[in-house]
Amino acid sequence: MALNFTQEISDIGPMAYPLKMVSREMVEHMLGWNIPEEHQDLVHEHWRNFPSVSKYWHYCLALIYAMLMVTSLVGNGIVIWIFGTSKSLRSASNMFVINLAIFDLMMMLEMPLLIINSFYQRLVGYQLGCDIYAVLGSLSGIGGAITNAVIAFDRYKTISCPLDGRINKVQASLLIAFTWFWALPFTILPAFRIWGRYVPEGFLTTCSFDYFTDDQDTKVFVACIFVWSYCIPMTLICYFYSQLFGAVRLHERMLQEQAKKMNVKSLAANKEDASRSVEIRIAKVAFTIFFLFVCAWTPYAFVTMTGAFGDRNLLTPIATMVPAVCCKVVSCIDPWVYAINHPRYRAELTKRLPWLGVRESDPDAVSTTTSVGTAQSQATAEA
Amino acid sequence: MLDLISLVLVVAVKVFKKTTPNGKVTVYLGKRDFIDHVDYCDPVDGVVVVDTEYLKGRKVYSQLVTTYRYGREEDEVMGVKFSKEMVIGQEQVVPLVNSKMELTPVQEKLLKKLGPNAYPFTFNFPEMAPSSVTLQPAEEDQGKPMGVDYSVRTYVAEQEDQKSHKRSSVTLAIKKLQHAPITRGRRLPSSLVSKGFTFSNGKINLEVTLDREIYYHGEKIAANVIVSNNSRKSVRNIRCMVVQHVEITMINSQFSRHVASLESREGCPVTPGASLSKTFYMVPLARNSKDVRGVALDGHLKEDDVNLASSTLVAEGKCPADAIGIVVSYSVRVKLNCGTLGGELVTDVPFKLLHPAEGTVERQRFNAMKKMQSIERHRYENTLYTNEEEDNIVFEDFARLRMNEPE
Repeated sequence: MALNFTQEISDIGPMAYPLKMVSREMVEHMLGWNIPEEHQDLVHEHWRNFPSVSKYWHYCLALIYAMLMVTSLVGNGIVIWIFGTSKSLRSASNMFVINLAIFDLMMMLEMPLLIINSFYQRLVGYQLGCDIYAVLGSLSGIGGAITNAVIAFDRYKTISCPLDGRINKVQASLLIAFTWFWALPFTILPAFRIWGRYVPEGFLTTCSFDYFTDDQDTKVFVACIFVWSYCIPMTLICYFYSQLFGAVRLHERMLQEQAKKMNVKSLAANKEDASRSVEIRIAKVAFTIFFLFVCAWTPYAFVTMTGAFGDRNLLTPIATMVPAVCCKVVSCIDPWVYAINHPRYRAELTKRLPWLGVRESDPDAVSTTTSVGTAQSQATAEA
Repeated sequence: MLDLISLVLVVAVKVFKKTTPNGKVTVYLGKRDFIDHVDYCDPVDGVVVVDTEYLKGRKVYSQLVTTYRYGREEDEVMGVKFSKEMVIGQEQVVPLVNSKMELTPVQEKLLKKLGPNAYPFTFNFPEMAPSSVTLQPAEEDQGKPMGVDYSVRTYVAEQEDQKSHKRSSVTLAIKKLQHAPITRGRRLPSSLVSKGFTFSNGKINLEVTLDREIYYHGEKIAANVIVSNNSRKSVRNIRCMVVQHVEITMINSQFSRHVASLESREGCPVTPGASLSKTFYMVPLARNSKDVRGVALDGHLKEDDVNLASSTLVAEGKCPADAIGIVVSYSVRVKLNCGTLGGELVTDVPFKLLHPAEGTVERQRFNAMKKMQSIERHRYENTLYTNEEEDNIVFEDFARLRMNEPE
């Protein structure tokens, strides 16, 4: 609309120059003004209704992303480095943690792109840049979400049947391959414009799949991706953690019954309190993970669903940038939630990076009573 | 690790001793294996020797602790602990609370020998207390093995619930085991099953009878198998195995492992109308399933001569489902392979595998056999590792055998 306006004006001839200057001012305040004409189709009509975002907003976003980038690089980098190189951490369950760190690092790769875009105040590379940015985001976002669910599944298996339930390395590799395949369809299809497509959103410096185009195809796409990358992983996470919680409660109850049969009275003195808190501890950790998932993806889900089916006027550029920041923040927190509460990882960290100040005694040397103490402190750290 | 010392007493009694790291408190135990005779159980009787000047008004406490471990240490995620420690007996040893305590012969001897600084303590296992069982870890497993174990922990503290200091506390690992009743019973366990086929008439009958109800560790099991084939299928081969069933009651899970097996085609195929009677001999031994994860064993892993876990016995009038800890049972399983379409005919015959009861002829024979094995191994190890000082383990075994001898 703004474009049409300019064209109209330029048709009037030289007499209208002052008017044109004024209108230029006005045009400059609309989003998408700085995208050349041949790429104008990238910008959806919706964004043209908003005034262009001030450069300070851009710089502010770039600053936030720069900080997140450093955090993510450090957190996920250390996780991959230590889990990948130390022998004591080479277990099937830890492969999932590494996988998650890889997805999170991939999300981190988006950030330098955004920082560059922010300084140009427009998308660098247009369609190609947009595709690269969105592919990284989609692959890492969906992959990370389903990896969270796989980790929940693995934990449920190990805790509910500690004897034979463990996932072996072959199964773990298959599950990891599964997470990548899970992320692929909704990454490749829009990238090749087979179904859906990638377009700039918000400040028009970031990209994601199109949720504005008003046709059946896009709407179905949005609904599908909503179920695929949000509902299904979240349902799985809830299911496995609640099952896990049930298993722990059952074990605790059975142990208490056995203790009662043996007339264990001194269990009450210190051990019972510890055992009661096992359930609380598990609940805390499970809830933290669930809450992080909700924090990461609910804003995005809300924005896309609103864009496709709801009141679009709610989606101002700034409002649509919030979810992007949310999921990036969570990708920085992930390594801390999954790895830092891992006693062996902490021990390894103490050994290799003593200056980090993580104090963890060797888990093999820790006696039963003291290890309860450390576990509790971890739980508080997680919470 | 238990330090072992042979105290030269009037009668040569072997005694186990262990001292706290700071050397001030020493615990003596008459034995390490305590036998649950189903109707009663050996009490844990020991003596503590302490330097009273060192105590300075503090007290010495002793605990009987059982530890359940039902998952690997490295699998502990989210702050879950796969082990549970339960204090099933606690006593203040120094100063003596109950001076009219009944003393066992070992305690009396020790008190006489060790002088005025020696204080006795006695624990009785709770009626329901499970037997010591260790589940064999896989080779790559680290950390403590799974199972049920017992220990006597002695520590110095001002109050009972005060936290003990590592330097002034000492833990002795002990075992609670079950032995077979003195008489083995006359019942011969047997099972009779038959299998029909969907598309053909007639049945295959399988009868399996064992020559005993209770076997001692290392004994040969004879399973008499009678197959009579009244169907139109033929039996291709017969598989016979000893299955160990392990039930881990604390997490409500169970599994089974084959601890001996053999397959035979002798006399096969058993054609329609034919029958076969054959006796299979098997010896279930721990050393034959060394690489199988989860096989239940009696006691410590360090020992080379470790044997399979004994069957769990339940006192009369008690429901087997009430048993706690790790419940072990055995059966002989016979499988007939009736071809690809015929499927399999399987039956299980339960039996019990235990150590002979103390004082029986079998026990003496068993001890002699073990002793011979131990001596042989000793010689073998000495030739192999002549310079190794690590004959610690053998020495322990050796002493253990001596202990089991009737005095």
